[in-house]
Amino acid sequence: MHIVDGALSTEVVVGGAILTVAGLGLGLKKLDVERIPAAGVLSATFFVASLIHVPIGPSSVHLILNGMAGLILGWAAFPALFVGLLLQAVFFGFGGITVLGANAFNIALPAVIVYYVCRHGIAQPSAKVAAVWGAIGGALSIALTTALVAFTLALSGEEFLPAAKLVFFAHLPVMVIEGLLTGAAVLLAHRVKPELFHALTEPTMEVSQNA
Amino acid sequence: MLKILTSGFVALILTVSGASAHKVVLSVYPSGAMFEGELGLSNGDMSEDQLVEVFDERDNKIGETKTDGDGFFTYQPTQAGIHVFRANLGAGHVAEVTVAADQIQASSGGAQAAAMPTTAVVTPEAIVSLSSALPDRDAVAKMIRNELRPLRQEIAAYKEKNDLQSILGGIGYIVGIFGIGMYVAARRKLKRASS
Repeated sequence: MHIVDGALSTEVVVGGAILTVAGLGLGLKKLDVERIPAAGVLSATFFVASLIHVPIGPSSVHLILNGMAGLILGWAAFPALFVGLLLQAVFFGFGGITVLGANAFNIALPAVIVYYVCRHGIAQPSAKVAAVWGAIGGALSIALTTALVAFTLALSGEEFLPAAKLVFFAHLPVMVIEGLLTGAAVLLAHRVKPELFHALTEPTMEVSQNA
Repeated sequence: MLKILTSGFVALILTVSGASAHKVVLSVYPSGAMFEGELGLSNGDMSEDQLVEVFDERDNKIGETKTDGDGFFTYQPTQAGIHVFRANLGAGHVAEVTVAADQIQASSGGAQAAAMPTTAVVTPEAIVSLSSALPDRDAVAKMIRNELRPLRQEIAAYKEKNDLQSILGGIGYIVGIFGIGMYVAARRKLKRASS
């Protein structure tokens, strides 16, 4: 999922960087004090999740968990995932510094999309319905990320469909695993901390109620 | 229900073991009059039957070769100068290594070739005459290369290792960065509250 240094043309690298800076700006604006600890935890989760590998065919794919970050953080997933990616590049050599913008965009934008698609489902009073929406969000974010990765590669000269198919099918197991994982996480949050999703989607209201 | 789900995905995570990166590792080294190289993923999987393309410094394709079952490949240079080896494993997994062909002539021991490396071109005849003149030297060089290969692979694998220190270090950085973020945000909030 991490595109490495040198795989993309300069225009794509610059474009990705600009889009990511815009996303970071928006994300930091939405990242209020209440959400920072959650962002930190999800950033660390994302950072470590990449080390859990699913061997498949000649390659292996790893967990990403951007869907979970998106569901909880919304736009604030941008800074959280960016920090995770930056440290992955520095510590593990995943991806690279020059392609950081493109990678962050490919991983964080699906998180934001999933947030908008699933947030009403997640906020349902029934824990089971919410868990199903969480599972959909977890799987959908990976599907969208594979599409974006294939699109990025296509912009740099690779054929879109073969690349898209390759990345998509390689990540099918990840979609299943992350769907289950995110669904279970939502279910758990509903049981033990039902206010989590409401609190994070409507932080100002929640604060005024607490105060 | 929750217990089943939890134990289910704990089992899933346990089955997907191995904390390893999936970076492409391409190494090329001169070996006698040839280039030898290895291509694989940093988790130790070598790439079978993978195309490796060779370019000169002006990005013109000058040749290609394929890896065998162990990710090992050889390339016989046809010209002097810079050789850029490029492999594309698909899905953004690319690797590139630049080697000067001069290293080849130097390592094959031709004093003449070393003296004028930019103009020298290795021809098959030259290699034959060289190897027949120095049979022992070639045999020894080959032996040493074979002996060193596992060591080289181990060093390459070691370089890609992610140990607990770097994982904990990374998490520490994340805590620190978000801690600073929290501090800045809290200060701003306090200032707003007091004004």
